Amino acid sequence: MKEDLMDIVCCPLDKHDLELDVESREDDEVMSGTLTCTECGETYPIEDGIPNLLPPDMREDAPA
Amino acid sequence: MTDLADRRGAETQVYQPAEDTRLLAEAAVSEIEPPARVLDVGTGSGYVAATVADETGADVVGSDLNPYAVRQAADRGVPVVRSDLVSAFRDGAFDAVVFNPPYLPRDDDAAREDWMEVALSGGDDGRAVVEPFLDDVGRVLAPDGFALVLVSTLTGVDEVIEYAGERGFSAVAVREESFPFETLSVLKLWK
Repeated sequence: MKEDLMDIVCCPLDKHDLELDVESREDDEVMSGTLTCTECGETYPIEDGIPNLLPPDMREDAPA
Repeated sequence: MTDLADRRGAETQVYQPAEDTRLLAEAAVSEIEPPARVLDVGTGSGYVAATVADETGADVVGSDLNPYAVRQAADRGVPVVRSDLVSAFRDGAFDAVVFNPPYLPRDDDAAREDWMEVALSGGDDGRAVVEPFLDDVGRVLAPDGFALVLVSTLTGVDEVIEYAGERGFSAVAVREESFPFETLSVLKLWK
């Protein structure tokens, strides 16, 4: 993900701002890291350049 | 996961562009005037998001529940977020939100437990996904923003318009196309 995505995303649970922690970058893309809610503290992973902002109870890779 | 498994997943687990996809993309290209920030909900293969970005120059982000879909859309060059409908996006963030929801009423005889089923099935009445979308989409729209939603006669166009109306939306069909078993419409919704 590019860092400007931070302007439009929020915590899916309480809609508060997220804080970005970068683990690795490729060019101008964040490839891995975490997004942490500044209010509730829930963390969301960024893997292979894609932020996973599903609520924790929906995070499994199995459908439905 | 291996690359081969990834590719197989993309082929069998992600809805590929079809008539409904193209109708929504066409409507979006004619309705969206840049500079605009656009969200494509349920972006799937990323076709609508990429088409709108290429043809209008708008800033388009895609979201999907399905991990194979966000991967495929990202590989097409679409900035993506894995999200449940619009829940991970800020209030007032978008000038336009486009959505081709899973809209087929569930057929228990044909039902499968995979991502393709999630991409197609709109529950018992075909509206199980579009209704929660309509409950929340107003929150992420900018003051002059609008949503473009694909609906089928199989889903019940009047029912969708009525449900949206109860949530304060005005609606007009900006595109319509008839097929042997359904008529597809793209509804423009605004407050």
